[in-house]
Amino acid sequence: MKKLLSVLVAAALTVTMLAACGGSGSSSAGGSAAASASGTAAEAPDTITMLLPPVSTTYQDQLSVWAEEFNAMYPNLTLEFENASWEDYKDKLDVQINAGTPPDIAFVEYDRVGTLADSGLMVDISTLISDEELADFDESALEFYRLDEGLYGLPVYISVQCLGGNKAMMEEAGIDWQSVQQNGWTFEEFREAIKAGATDDHYGFIFACAGVTAADYLNIMVKNAGMPAPFDEDLKFAYTSQNFLELLKCLRQIIDDGSTPAEMGSVDAGKRWNMFLTGQTMIFGKGLANFEGLAAENNAKLAADDGTAVEGSIETEYVVLPVPTFFGEAQQAQGSAGGYSMFRTVEEPDPVHQANVMKALYFMASGERAAFTCNELYLSGLSESARTAMAEIENEVPRNENNANAMALLTEQAAPARPDIPAEKTAQATRLMDEVIVPKFQALLAGETTPEEMYEAVCQAAIETFGEDGVVQD
Amino acid sequence: MKGNHSGTVRTGRKWRLTSEDLWGYAFIAVAMIVFCVFTVYPVISAFFTSFEEYKPLGSTFVALENYKTTFTNDLFYKSVWNTLVYTVFTVPLSLCISFLVAIMILPFSRKVQSVFKSLYYLPAVASGVALSVVWLWIYDPLPTGLLNSLLSVFGIDNVNWLGSSRTAMFSLILMALLAGHGTQIIIYLAALLGVPNSLFEAADLDGATFLQKLWYIVIPLVKPTTLFLLVTGIIGSFQVFMNAYMMTGGGPDNATTMVGLLIFNNAFKYSDYGLACAQALVLAVVIAAVSLLQFKLMGEDVEY
Repeated sequence: MKKLLSVLVAAALTVTMLAACGGSGSSSAGGSAAASASGTAAEAPDTITMLLPPVSTTYQDQLSVWAEEFNAMYPNLTLEFENASWEDYKDKLDVQINAGTPPDIAFVEYDRVGTLADSGLMVDISTLISDEELADFDESALEFYRLDEGLYGLPVYISVQCLGGNKAMMEEAGIDWQSVQQNGWTFEEFREAIKAGATDDHYGFIFACAGVTAADYLNIMVKNAGMPAPFDEDLKFAYTSQNFLELLKCLRQIIDDGSTPAEMGSVDAGKRWNMFLTGQTMIFGKGLANFEGLAAENNAKLAADDGTAVEGSIETEYVVLPVPTFFGEAQQAQGSAGGYSMFRTVEEPDPVHQANVMKALYFMASGERAAFTCNELYLSGLSESARTAMAEIENEVPRNENNANAMALLTEQAAPARPDIPAEKTAQATRLMDEVIVPKFQALLAGETTPEEMYEAVCQAAIETFGEDGVVQD
Repeated sequence: MKGNHSGTVRTGRKWRLTSEDLWGYAFIAVAMIVFCVFTVYPVISAFFTSFEEYKPLGSTFVALENYKTTFTNDLFYKSVWNTLVYTVFTVPLSLCISFLVAIMILPFSRKVQSVFKSLYYLPAVASGVALSVVWLWIYDPLPTGLLNSLLSVFGIDNVNWLGSSRTAMFSLILMALLAGHGTQIIIYLAALLGVPNSLFEAADLDGATFLQKLWYIVIPLVKPTTLFLLVTGIIGSFQVFMNAYMMTGGGPDNATTMVGLLIFNNAFKYSDYGLACAQALVLAVVIAAVSLLQFKLMGEDVEY
């Protein structure tokens, strides 16, 4: 009997692992709701809570300054920040949402809008925002936060995920990088370039593909192969098209060429940046606009003989490069929008508090705050007020004009947002990506499966998920 | 436990609590409350959630749908298989290593034993995340990586440790086997110190060899400890999460997706708490069944 009891206790402890799962709908509201409950008048004191990752280099250091500015504008309102690392903030937000007590505002990347809106706690701000505030933002940027008829956030930036190159190495390999920046390149041109750039000392190309980052590689490439979104305009799953198979063959080809390491599937983001700075690769991915500043910072440390420079690093000049295009398709860069969204608790929302939160939401997403963030990320502002404020900023280190132009061109060419894709389909596609496509892609990178086998597995799983009529069949 | 042993006076069909009983309950009250709030309640709550599609603003009852999804999902079976492989290799080998180390430490003085115990326990003090970072560095896939550089000295080709489904599981097992046995060594050492010296003296008089003493005296007498470590080790191994989460994310090709990671992903990545709870309960039943089997096979002559 005692043994049986021991076993039962052991089993009970196992289930405790999911202890937090069973929250009931009666969870108490967060501090914000409590604050709003204390006064319903518009002038009553109110606290607005925010969960924020380190959006840019010194973003979190700036928050207290912005809180003071906001408080000066609205003396009865206080901003309260909860900072989290990039690794933690998604989990934190998810847990808070599922417990029914999210913060009033959180930083949300556009690709999570569908999932978070599905919780019912993400607030549609289309009825809360004033026309004047709404008109401040570029309509194309707002599209990233639209879902059906609703608006679920205000964008701060669109970051284009591209490739990055070492200028000196590219010139040595005879690559006209300026022409590539202006005119783009086809896969065949890219393939020849990285073949030419691969030497005994360094690889021609490396992309961080360890773990889930393999999805980035595929997502970036697939857009330029005629599949700007996982679903076509008829809402059919697109990765079952022949282009997907041909893309997989191309990505395998460059490993077989020896231009990129066979172990690419284990290279993480930190390693690929280290490989760029230490001259172990000519081109790398994914590249972001602000890498120019990070490379320049390391160069300055090297010049000053500062011990904090990356060990073994060399002087590098970062060049923004577009992703190659496949099969004659147009450039459709991977744009990732970031911005702020409003949340409510499980308690009935207080209209006065929501109006206060809207003030804070617009404050953070526009003007000097957005300008500061975009400037640190080497990106353009998405609102008129942000662009005006950005014009006033004087940077200590001048920005590379070629890179800025290339990034502006890629932003123009970014694949448009798809608010027409229902949240349910997005969730299904995400699960398919995580459970089938990415694992198979990792096997493809490791040389343990062929493009044909992977394509077959993807088609089979897609048909199981969406049905034969729900997938592209060409 | 009999009623009169605990100080409770039984009169007819009624139980009367003495002040001694009340003090006893008072002393365990905090532990009981913590246990009820953080273990009993969540378990019951998880049970009910497993029949729901969980939503913060109101869940929907879906009957056995989450269990149906669990049992028709290939990835669930693959993750159970991966967990089983991981457990079969790590737990017995880990026990053997701990036992051997404890045997080797035993002849030393108490002070030297303490030094060894501290050294072996040290990895348990370090955070799992920090250890994972170190192991990621060791398993660097490029030829310049630490382990690959070492192997190249012996003419062995570069190995894509975590990036190949042929070596990823092996890499996690190796990490588990080398990462720390401190707790097990300490428990084994305590058990070994409890073996009466008179038995060894009698064995010496009979001319028993070291291996004979080990086989006929030590192993039978530390059997309760072995059973305890085996059961808790298997429970822990079935719940393994950190290694796969930090090192491989479950890849490549789901070769290292463990049940714990799958449950975590369903709960915290897809917010599918109902499915996660159903899978956690299935895992709990599997662990309970395995534990019962162990008690049945090994626990007949074990008394605690």
